[in-house]
Amino acid sequence: MKSPQSIAIKTEQLVHTVSTSAGELTILKGIDIEIKEGESVAIVGASGSGKSTLLGLIAGLDVGTGGESYIYEHALSNLNEEQRATLRGEYIGFIFQSFHLLPSLTALENVMLPAELSGDYQAQEKAMAFLQQVGLQHRLDHYPRQLSGGEQQRVAIARAFASNPKILFADEPTGNLDADTGKIITDLLFELNASQGTTLVMVTHDNKLAQRCQRQLIMAGGCINEPRTRSNESESDEVSEA
Amino acid sequence: MNLAIRILLRELKSGDVMTLVIALILSVSTVTGIGLFVDRLQSSFELQSSTLLAADRVIRSSQALPDEWRQQAHDFGLATANRASFSSMVFSDDGLQLSQISAVTASYPLRGEYLVEQSLFGEGVPSIAGPKSGEIWVSSRLASLLNVAIGDSVQVGEKALLITAYLVRDPGSSMSAFAVAPRAVMSLSDLAATEIIQPGSRVRYALMMAGESNVLEQMAQWVTPKLADNQEWRTPRSGGQGIGATINRAESFLLLAGTLAVMMSGVAMALASNRYVKRHLTQTAVLKTLGATPNKIGQILFWQLCAVFALGAGIGLVLGWFAQELIALSLDVLLSTTLPPPSLTKVWVGLMTGLVSLVTFCVPLMSRLLTISPLTVLQPISHLSGRSGLLYLIGFAGSFALMVVYTGGVLLPTLMVVSVAVVASLVGSVGFGVFSLGRRLSAGRTSGWQIGLASLRRRLGANLFQLLVFTLIIMLGLILTGMRTSLISDWQGQIPENAPNHYLFNVQKNNVEEVKSQLTDLSLVQSDWYPMILGRVTHINGEEVSELFPPDTNQPEMLERELNLTWAKSLGSDNQVIEGTFSAESEGISIESYVAEEINIRLGDTLTLFVGGEEHTLPITSIRKVDWSSMQPNFYLILPQAVLENFPANYITSVFVPTSKQQDFYRTMSNYPTISLVNVGDLITRIQFIIAQVSQAILLVLVFIVTSGALVLVASVRASLDERLEEGALLRTLGASKQLIQQAMLIEFGFLGTAAGLIAAVAAEVCLFGLQVFVFELAPSFHPLLWILGPVFGFTVVTLIGVFAGRSVIKVPPMRMLRAL
Repeated sequence: MKSPQSIAIKTEQLVHTVSTSAGELTILKGIDIEIKEGESVAIVGASGSGKSTLLGLIAGLDVGTGGESYIYEHALSNLNEEQRATLRGEYIGFIFQSFHLLPSLTALENVMLPAELSGDYQAQEKAMAFLQQVGLQHRLDHYPRQLSGGEQQRVAIARAFASNPKILFADEPTGNLDADTGKIITDLLFELNASQGTTLVMVTHDNKLAQRCQRQLIMAGGCINEPRTRSNESESDEVSEA
Repeated sequence: MNLAIRILLRELKSGDVMTLVIALILSVSTVTGIGLFVDRLQSSFELQSSTLLAADRVIRSSQALPDEWRQQAHDFGLATANRASFSSMVFSDDGLQLSQISAVTASYPLRGEYLVEQSLFGEGVPSIAGPKSGEIWVSSRLASLLNVAIGDSVQVGEKALLITAYLVRDPGSSMSAFAVAPRAVMSLSDLAATEIIQPGSRVRYALMMAGESNVLEQMAQWVTPKLADNQEWRTPRSGGQGIGATINRAESFLLLAGTLAVMMSGVAMALASNRYVKRHLTQTAVLKTLGATPNKIGQILFWQLCAVFALGAGIGLVLGWFAQELIALSLDVLLSTTLPPPSLTKVWVGLMTGLVSLVTFCVPLMSRLLTISPLTVLQPISHLSGRSGLLYLIGFAGSFALMVVYTGGVLLPTLMVVSVAVVASLVGSVGFGVFSLGRRLSAGRTSGWQIGLASLRRRLGANLFQLLVFTLIIMLGLILTGMRTSLISDWQGQIPENAPNHYLFNVQKNNVEEVKSQLTDLSLVQSDWYPMILGRVTHINGEEVSELFPPDTNQPEMLERELNLTWAKSLGSDNQVIEGTFSAESEGISIESYVAEEINIRLGDTLTLFVGGEEHTLPITSIRKVDWSSMQPNFYLILPQAVLENFPANYITSVFVPTSKQQDFYRTMSNYPTISLVNVGDLITRIQFIIAQVSQAILLVLVFIVTSGALVLVASVRASLDERLEEGALLRTLGASKQLIQQAMLIEFGFLGTAAGLIAAVAAEVCLFGLQVFVFELAPSFHPLLWILGPVFGFTVVTLIGVFAGRSVIKVPPMRMLRAL
């Protein structure tokens, strides 16, 4: 067990450059961040500011072209894709804007998937428990196309928590949902996050949603401009509405 | 593995995996079907080749063999038997039929056994003993032609014989699988009583021997120096070379045709894999974010492909088994023997085909999923990186390798690839023109015409490929149809009216004048009478034929066998001397121009002929062009009378018998039971029947090709389905009716199909023209049926398949589509 204050994510001068037809394009220009275990952090910024790229790199979906990024003590640039995938399976859960459920699997099977991939024999019990927690115990055998957007995102949340991740990455989790459904989903997300003690890193456009996180990182032009912190007390009044 | 199979089972419902499985089934079943059928032919042949001679060694001769040879073989301790084979008329109360008869001694066969049956067209039970004296066994076909049954009598020459069994297989006569004349076996002791064998009659005599190989070797050494040029020492191996080579050629040909199906199935697999990969890019990336390592993804894919292979190959093998059974069934009536059941030795060809197709067309595409970055979940990529040209190249390289394995050489596959490439570029340029023209003509219209034709032009590459596939398929079908329905009738149509329709041969010299006057009494027009004497060409310009054209190579027909030689006082009007001069007093040979070219011989060169135990070396003094369609008796070689007149000859003529006089003619001819009579009409019917049967078998292979072509169309429509769905939804959101979209699809596929049918009709007409003019040497004719069949078939099939494959474009509500975008 790590102490509550141990560092879950850390970057050192993280740089990411891609080559385009117009030449080299630097998306991240030397990012330094530290996210403590159990912290909830929102990455906000305009379109094209590099939010999603940063999320992808700190989640180990790819490696930066310069600098270093750590998940706990693991330096990602030293790992190959095989090792990074194993690391993701062990530490990380994901929630996406467009849910990304496997269309050919039922709700239950989608939630079972991470546990099955790691060879967990209790995959089914765990998956059912999480689906119950997100209120979909009556939808176990439905396929994604038979579920509404909100329900699909709840399945995705159940899937994300089903692998007992230490860190949860969410990419615009309410971006494809209407306001009411978005609120329900956000509540659920924060509730489960609190009960599981997960570190939450979220990319969002939605300021109100961002403000429910303990800390916001504002991205502009490939840099983190000004880390803002927010007191926890006012959280309940600033629930996202739009 | 469980996870892999579970995901796969779900995916089966989506069309891509299904397409993959069906494509695999088609490749495996096509090749297995052909492989197993040819294997049956081959093992039937091998099974027979030990009994092919019905003995261990045979001496064959066109003249009766001296009895001292048989005595000598007997003295050496060998078992012996004699056989005389000839063709003769067999008469019943209801008719007469030329048949191939073997007259054998009681000890025949020395090896192998007869297959006989008590009911018509039965499978046959083995019998070692042959027909007794006074009996005859006839094949079921002969019995039905003569309308006789067991217990009835038939007349062979002057002798009546009782039918006691139906002959299924005569061990010594399995040489020609597609015999034109039906067979019969009788006892050699009855032969003299038939009075058929006269000096100059066509008979093949055989002395058959069986025993220890060292004794046989002794006999060989004793007899070989005594053998004349028209006598031959045969071993089981020397008997079978021709058939073996024919079967191998048939196998190569059928498998090459089958390769078309394999290649198209491969393309369908590639298209389906490509769509599968596109649809699974994000899913795979999601799996990766969930902790699936590339290794794990690789394992999942591996097990999925294994399952697809097991399913596809399994069903393919079963279907292939049925296919070969169907091919065998459709040729059943033609094959004079019952085929042995298929052995499993050829199954590997089908399995290998499936595996190679899967590995070359599918795996390279699928492997892209391994390398997809998990980042794709956050930043979707719109299309896969290029290299698809290279990926298809790998697939085609695989198919080429398969073709090389099938044909056992590089030449045929290369020829096929080159010709397909030529056709492809022709069809490609014509198609490009047609599509562009369609687009231009429809511009400015707001109907389904514009949308449909624009769509053809937009997906140009895919549509040109469809066009090629369907043009090839329809063309093959039309050529087959043309061959089946019109080649023979074209030929018949070109025979001059009142051309002879019956041949009379085996006429003895002392009968000639009598028969002539009988025919004149019936006022039948007869052509000139020609004597026929058998002879073999042994040397060309002093060089031995066997050295100039070794027997294993493609020997010219004229050198392969004994020839009918004749002499003549003058030439018929169907003969035209093109070099040298012809006269009755000439002391040289007059040769037909085609065979002269084939053996590369010119005026003044010499030929040595072995005739009736003598060698004659003579110069070529004239070269003739012969109009074979005149139906008059004609000869490759005409020799001086002085050379031939001392040998016993039988005579041949041809007669035109109008239907009204047929009965009288047959009645007259039944007074001459030893004269053989061939009705050209019957012969043509028989040939037409053979062509119909063979093309039916080829048609079965074509069905597989058509099915794989249909699969390519389905796969390719599905490949563009996402794009079509999007367009359809947008159009409908903008107010287009279901009918308009339906109309647009109808026009798109209808235009494609009709164009393919038309181009195919042109190509088939050109091919038939080539066949008529260059292969069959007929005057070219036009085949209007093809020009109707081609476009109608193309329109119907392509439209049906296309609209079926794209039906969801109309069915899916636009709301659902747009939400999914």
